[in-house]
Amino acid sequence: MMSDTQTVGSIPTPQRGLSVRGIINSAGIGLALLLLIVFFSFASEHFLTPNNITNILTQITINLILAVGMTFVILIGGIDLSVGSVMAFAAVVAGKAITLPGLGPAELILLATTAGVLAGLACGMLNGFLSAYWSLPSFIITLGMLNIARGAALQVSDAQTIYSFPRAFENFGSLLISGVPVVFLVALVLVLLAWFVLTRTVFGRIIYGIGSNEEAVRLAGHNVFAYKVAAFSICGLTAGIAAIIYMARLNISSPIAGIGFELNAIAAVIIGGTSLSGGRGSVIGTLLGAFIIGVLANGLILIGLSDFMRQMITGVVIVVAVILDHYRAKLAGNG
Amino acid sequence: MHADTLTASKPSASEPAQAQALLTVDDVHRAFGGVKALDGAHFTLLRGESHALVGENGAGKSTLIKILSGALARDTGTITLEGAPYTPANPHDAKALGVQVVHQEFNLLNDLSVAENISIESLPRRFGLLDKGEMERRARQALDAIGLTELAVTTPVGRLGIAHKQLIEIARALQSDSKVLILDEPTATLTERETSRLFEIINDIKAKGVTIVFVSHHLDEVFAICDRVTIFRNGRTVTTENIADSNPSQVVQHMVGRSFGERSRDRETVEAEDPVVLRVDRVRTSVCPHEEGVSLAVKRGEIVGIAGLVGAGRTEFLRALFGADPLVSGEISLHGEPLALGGPADAIVAGIGFVTEDRKEEGLILSMDLSANTSMASLDAVSSAGLLNFDAERKMAGDGGARLDLKYSALSDPASSLSGGNQQKVVLAKWLARNPQLLLLDEPTRGVDVGAKAEIYTILESLANQGVSMLVVSSELPELMTLADRILVMADHAIQGELARKDFSQAKILALAYGQAAPDTPASESA
Repeated sequence: MMSDTQTVGSIPTPQRGLSVRGIINSAGIGLALLLLIVFFSFASEHFLTPNNITNILTQITINLILAVGMTFVILIGGIDLSVGSVMAFAAVVAGKAITLPGLGPAELILLATTAGVLAGLACGMLNGFLSAYWSLPSFIITLGMLNIARGAALQVSDAQTIYSFPRAFENFGSLLISGVPVVFLVALVLVLLAWFVLTRTVFGRIIYGIGSNEEAVRLAGHNVFAYKVAAFSICGLTAGIAAIIYMARLNISSPIAGIGFELNAIAAVIIGGTSLSGGRGSVIGTLLGAFIIGVLANGLILIGLSDFMRQMITGVVIVVAVILDHYRAKLAGNG
Repeated sequence: MHADTLTASKPSASEPAQAQALLTVDDVHRAFGGVKALDGAHFTLLRGESHALVGENGAGKSTLIKILSGALARDTGTITLEGAPYTPANPHDAKALGVQVVHQEFNLLNDLSVAENISIESLPRRFGLLDKGEMERRARQALDAIGLTELAVTTPVGRLGIAHKQLIEIARALQSDSKVLILDEPTATLTERETSRLFEIINDIKAKGVTIVFVSHHLDEVFAICDRVTIFRNGRTVTTENIADSNPSQVVQHMVGRSFGERSRDRETVEAEDPVVLRVDRVRTSVCPHEEGVSLAVKRGEIVGIAGLVGAGRTEFLRALFGADPLVSGEISLHGEPLALGGPADAIVAGIGFVTEDRKEEGLILSMDLSANTSMASLDAVSSAGLLNFDAERKMAGDGGARLDLKYSALSDPASSLSGGNQQKVVLAKWLARNPQLLLLDEPTRGVDVGAKAEIYTILESLANQGVSMLVVSSELPELMTLADRILVMADHAIQGELARKDFSQAKILALAYGQAAPDTPASESA
C-alpha cells in the first residue's frame, strides 16, 4: 500500500546552503543592480571609469561592513539602531589609543585596532544581553545604546576630533590593488566569512532558526539566549571594524562620525532581501543591497541630480524592497 | 448517528449503470508544481443519482470539484457531459452548461435581501432599471422550489442563520437550469436538525431530476442520502461502490488504504517486572495551585495516556517534564537517576523528546527545509567542529522519512509544503533521530487527517514495542483508548484517577475529568 506515493531517498535533492528560492531572490537583486549600472553607464560618461569605480567601492565599504553585522541581527528578528554611534565610540577609543605617546607605529596600530574592535564588541554584547535577557525589543535597547555610545564618544574625546595617526595606518586607508581599495577587500572578506558562517555552520543554522521560530529552536535544546547575544556581538564587532576602516580612510577620529549610518546599513540589508521579521535572507543579498545604495548615490549625483533627489530615490528603493519582501513572505507562506 | 431519521430516501442502487451516464470523468490529471493533486481520477455520474465523493484531506476531491466547476483546468484526461466534451473555461461556463457548485464558504452579500442575493447573477431589468417585482417573484419561486415557503424574500441575508444561508445558496444554484448540483461539505456547519432538513430538500431536488454530487467527511450522512460513493486516495480514484452493497468501515479502509482502529502492539499489557523509566514525584508547575503536585511512573515500552479537560494542567506538566518551563518543586528521575532540568537541553541529553501541541508554533521551522527540521535537535550528529555536514544531514532526514513513510517531493522543500500529517511526521523524525527513551506527546494528531492519524498510531505503537516509553496527552478519548496501556485522568493539576486498559470507557474517563469520582489515592495533607 501507499506504493503510489513518493517516498524517501531516491529523489535527488538540489544543493543546499543556497536554496533555489534564495538564488532567485539574489538573482532579482543582482539584476536590479545590473540594470542600474547599465543605465548610469549610458546616462553618464563618467560612471564606468576606473576612477569612479574605485570611488564607489571606497564609498560603500563602511556601509557594507556595518550591514554585514546588521544582517545577523535582522536574521534573528532584531534590529540594531546603535551601529552608527557605536562606530563613533569605537573610533574615539581607537583614536585615543593610536595617539598615545611613547609607542612605535606598529604597536600603536595593533593597540588601537584591538581597542576599537573590542569597544564595538562590548557595545554589541551589551545590546544583546539587555534585549535577550529581559526579552525586550531590541529596537528600544539599541535606541538607548545609540544615545549612550554617542554620549560616551563625546565624553571620551572631550568632543574633539582626534588626528595625526601613524603614516602606515593612513596609507592603508588609501591603498589600492589594481584599482580596488584594500579597505573594500576587507569588507568583501567579511562578507564571505559571514556567508560561510550563515550557510555552512551550526551557528548560522540556528541564527536562521531563531528568526523563524524561536520557540521551536529553544525546545530543540539550543541556548537561544547565547545565540542572540552572539548576533548582537557580531554587529558590534563589525561596527568596531568599520570604525578602524573609517579612521584609516579619513585620517581622523571624530565623535560625531557615523550619524545616521545605522539607517543605511538597515537599508542595505532590507534591499538585499532579508526579511525584517527575521529568518529569511542572505548576506550575499546584503552585499548587493549595499552596492545598489552606493551605485544610486554615486550615479544620481553624476547625472546631475541633487542630493535631495538622491535621498528621495533611495527612500523609494527601500519602500519597494519592503513591498517585494511582503510578496516573498506570502510566497514562502503558501509554500 | 441520525441515520434512522433519514433512511426514507435510502435508494435501491439498482439502476443499470452505463445506460444513464450524465457526466463521465476519465483519467483526469492535475499537478501543482511537483505535487500531483489529481493523478488519475475516474468516475461516472448517473442521471438523477446522488453520488458521494469521499477521501482524506488532500485526496483530490476539492481539485476535482474545482475542475468540474470551471475554476481550474485539468492537465490531461477527458470529461464528457451528456456525451459531449465538457471543458468549462470558467465557473460561468460551467453554470451555463448546467453544473453548479455550492461551496463551503458562502458567496452571499450579507446586506442585501434574499431576493437580491438569489438574482444577483442576472438581475431582471425593465427600462434599464431593476425590476424589483420580477426579482422577488423569481426569488419566491426559487425558495418555494426547495420548500422554503416560510422565508420572506425581503429579509436581509445577514439576519439569517448558517443553515438558511446554505439553502439560499442552493436556491440560487438551482435557479438556472441545473443538471448537476455539487454540494461541497454542506453539513459542516449545520446542526443535526438543519442537516435532516437539508437532506429532505436534497431528496426533493433529486426527485426533480437534478443529479447531486455530495462531498462530506461524515460517512453516516453519505450512507443516509447517497446512492453511490466514489473514494479518493492520493489523487486517484480507488473505487466506486453502491451504498447498498457497502458499509462505512469498508469505505474507511479504502480511504486510508488499511484497516483502521486495530492495535498493533505485540503485547497487550506492560509486564509488571518491566523496569520503570520515568518516575515523577510531586512535581509542581508554576500554575499548579496545590502542594501535592503530580506523581507518576512510566515503565519501559509503556504508553501512558493523560486525559483531562482543557486547563487541567496537562500541557504545563509535560512542558515542565521537558524543562521547557521551570519546575517549582518535586523530583524527576529517569532510569533511577535524578534528573535536574535547567532547560530543554538537559531533557534532550537525558533521552527525552517532546512533540508539542502546536507544531507550527513550537515544533517546526516552517520556512526551513525538511533536512534542517529533522536535524534541529541533533545538530551535533550532523556536524563536526561547528561545520554542517549536509550529506549526513540529508541521510538523517531521508532515513527518518523512510522510517515514517513521509510523503514529500524533495528534502530541500520547506516544511510548510507538507500536509499536517506529514508535518507531524517530521516532528517525530526530529526526535527519533536522537533515539529517545521517553517521548512526551501533546495532542499528537491534532489537525491531522484520518489516514495520517492511523499511520502515526502505528508508528507510536511500534516505537513502544521497541521499548520507547511515552506520555501522551490528548483531548480525543478514542485516541487515548487506542494508544494507551493505561490512562491517567488529570483535573486541577492533579491526577484524579487511573484506568487500566480493560477498564477504558469514555464515561469513566469523563467522570474523573469532571471530578465526579473521588481520587483513588488519599490526598496528602496540604498547607
